[in-house]
Amino acid sequence: MSLLEIEDVDKSYGDEEVLHDVSLAMDQRDVDVIVGPSGSGKSTLLRCVNRLTEVDDGAIYLDGEEIHGMDENDLRRRVGMVFQDFNLFAHRSALGNVTLGLTEVLELSETEAKSRAEEFLGRVGLADQADSYPSQLSGGQKQRVGIARALAMDPDLLLFDEPTSALDPELIGEVLAVMEDLAEGGMTMLCVTHEMGFARSAASTITFLDGGRIVERGPPEQLFETPEKERTRTFLGQLTDLNR
Amino acid sequence: MAVAAPADLAAVLQTGDWAFVLGNWRVLLLGAVVTVVLMATSLTLGFLAGFPAGAVEAYGSGWTKELVSTAGVVLRGTPIVVLIVLFFFGIPVPKLGSVPVVDVRLSAFLAATLALGLRSGAYQSQVFRGAIQSIDEGQLEAARSVGLTHRQAVRHVIFPQAVRRSVPGFQNEFTIVLKDTSVAFAIGLAELLTRAENLYLQPGRDTAIMEVIIVISAVYFVLTFATNRTLDYLGDAFSIPEGSE
Amino acid sequence: MTDGEAVTDPTETRGSTIGSLPGRRRLVVVAVGSVFWTWLLARWAYHNTVLDWVATAFGTPDLVRAEQGVRGREGWIPAAPFEGAAEAVDGVAATLGPASALVDWLVWLFDLAAFATTTAPALAAGAFVTVYLTVVSMLLGLVIAVPLAVARIYGGRGLRSIALAYTELIRGTPLLAQLFFLYFGLPLAQIAESVGFTGQGPVPRAAAAVAVVGFTINSSAYQSEYIRSALQSVDPGQLTAARAVGLSELGGIRHVVLPQGLRFAIPGWTNEFVYLIKYSSLAAFITVPDLFRRARTIGSETFQFTDIYVIVGLFYLALVLTTALAMGRLERWVAIPGLGSASDRG
Ligand SMILES: Nc1ncnc2c1ncn2[C@@H]1O[C@H](COP(=O)(O)OP(=O)(O)OP(=O)(O)O)[C@@H](O)[C@H]1O
Ligand SMILES: [Mg+2]
Repeated sequence: MSLLEIEDVDKSYGDEEVLHDVSLAMDQRDVDVIVGPSGSGKSTLLRCVNRLTEVDDGAIYLDGEEIHGMDENDLRRRVGMVFQDFNLFAHRSALGNVTLGLTEVLELSETEAKSRAEEFLGRVGLADQADSYPSQLSGGQKQRVGIARALAMDPDLLLFDEPTSALDPELIGEVLAVMEDLAEGGMTMLCVTHEMGFARSAASTITFLDGGRIVERGPPEQLFETPEKERTRTFLGQLTDLNR
Repeated sequence: MAVAAPADLAAVLQTGDWAFVLGNWRVLLLGAVVTVVLMATSLTLGFLAGFPAGAVEAYGSGWTKELVSTAGVVLRGTPIVVLIVLFFFGIPVPKLGSVPVVDVRLSAFLAATLALGLRSGAYQSQVFRGAIQSIDEGQLEAARSVGLTHRQAVRHVIFPQAVRRSVPGFQNEFTIVLKDTSVAFAIGLAELLTRAENLYLQPGRDTAIMEVIIVISAVYFVLTFATNRTLDYLGDAFSIPEGSE
Repeated sequence: MTDGEAVTDPTETRGSTIGSLPGRRRLVVVAVGSVFWTWLLARWAYHNTVLDWVATAFGTPDLVRAEQGVRGREGWIPAAPFEGAAEAVDGVAATLGPASALVDWLVWLFDLAAFATTTAPALAAGAFVTVYLTVVSMLLGLVIAVPLAVARIYGGRGLRSIALAYTELIRGTPLLAQLFFLYFGLPLAQIAESVGFTGQGPVPRAAAAVAVVGFTINSSAYQSEYIRSALQSVDPGQLTAARAVGLSELGGIRHVVLPQGLRFAIPGWTNEFVYLIKYSSLAAFITVPDLFRRARTIGSETFQFTDIYVIVGLFYLALVLTTALAMGRLERWVAIPGLGSASDRG
């Protein structure tokens, strides 16, 4: 059984149809990369998975369970999210960002939460920045805190919404390295990203979304080397040029 | 209320009058104490009323929100002197007697506290509501994404940041309320200004009006100054290190 | 006092009185406000000396009645129906026995309405004083505030310190103390009287002149703070560019910085206007017969303190809300696309 199954999902904002009949399935340990032009509905799709947005039609299953019927807080505990602009809690240190969910949602004691948070900050290479506030961190460091925050909840699935696109070029590498580590470690990840290097090396599947529809979906070699659609070739071609 | 006889400035500021003012320093000190206590009780009431009111205006709906925002408009749209006299005459306060040493009628003190406090609450609620609404949507989403309920997210993520962002607005309230305690003169509450008037209304003391008012103005000024400096200091001490997010 | 650093809070701004009124309430304010102002303007016109003079010249001496003393004026809406209603409801209340709290309330409301109609002419006369004190002081205050703000930012050391001392001294002490200082402390009232503020005809009384002086000084300090922060939010590159085309520093300020900056100051300025309407009530304590003093007088004559203060509170509320709405209009009217809009400054 797939870990995540998205079935014929539709979503509109007013008259604008943002997602149309989107279906995909991911197994455990899969790394699915979603690409597509701006406005194609990538963020919307991710937000449907943790119900920051509700779908209009269709269904999404996590581990076989329809997410619409689940308690949304429980769902979100199981599905972590990493944001494009980090969204770190500005009033809490790096450590405090990670511990909040642990104490309030998992109801760990302060000391347990602290040691667990330290462990995860260590994993993203920020053990020495635990007491820094978001504004004292670089973009790359912020994003790594964001990843640690999501990771510490021990999620079944991690969502990444363009995690590197707000970063200066020289800081992108450190975040991608953490993500590659996670992929190797067997984390199931659904990533919106235009980092084609990461897609080639880490993705098990690439999904090309355009105008709210899945144009093409398949393993990286197939989409990069022998895409079925001309549209896919041009779009990926542009991205690869950009990344060079 | 007597008007000073026409005289040139030099004659108005007589040395004997300065001695008179300084000789009555105890009276003025008590007045200053009443002023500061009134400010403290009013601000406390204002915070206790304004904080929840701001939260209701930001997150509430239906008739509670309607009621709170209407009360806010009325309190902010009415002159403070009208509010003070209304609370003084309009609210059936039981006979409360007075506090002996400072010679303050409790009913007047209560009315002034209610008027200054609730009005300040109406402004504080705006400050707080604005602060809540200025916090980036992403903060709430991030909190929700780790599984916090809406309530928890508001309590642990939105409120702590909103309170810190409200500090400059609250600081304004301190100085505004401090200055407006003088309006309690309207109901004869024995705060600084009322005591000043009592001093120069003593027989033969109308030559000391200038001196008395200069002295109490200086006291107000020093209090404003001290309040602001203290709050600046506290604001720095409790601020989030260079927040820009 | 260190140079250039404010002693009291440098950013002190007074919160917006009204904020934004949601649609339905806005409509109520517009509707009630129009009726209120129509009545108020008619009332002022009816007792206006100049209009009386004009009307008499045109052969209708009874059209406008300026000669009538404020106390002798009669309302246009009769009080009798409200008194009647109050009595009728009261009668019903008596039959209801103890469960009549709500009905008692109704009785009070009718009594209040009756009282309002009899006191309205005096209050209208007071409102006139309130409005002119506010308008005149705001405008005079503005005339002082602009150079004050410019001196704070662009002045030399000496000028800057003087401007700073002035604003901080004014903003650091209560308005009521300032009024007392001017009226009881300084022989300002006598001076005003000797130059002709005698309260005869259209000339205001000496106390009113002193109040205008006090409010002007006070509001100039607050206004200058708004203007200063508005001017400082103008990109300094603008002045540099002005200098680069050959304007003098003063010319650049005058033609480039002020036109942009003063627009930013409008929301703060309009808010200050509303504040002064409310604070002008303190003029009552230096004997100016403004709206609040009229109410106080009526209160001590009738002992209906609560009633008259509720009525005068509603009066002020009407003045404040209509002004706030009108000022919102003004803000949108003078807005320039792309330059700080009213809505981003509370
Ligand atoms: N809350 C919303 N209300 C109305 N329209 C929305 C909302 N969120 C997204 N949209 C619209 O839905 C469409 C898809 O948005 P989405 O953010 O999913 O695109 P995206 O592929 O993530 O684009 P980008 O690469 O710019 O992030 C856009 O046209 C957007 O304007
Ligand atoms: Mg997006």
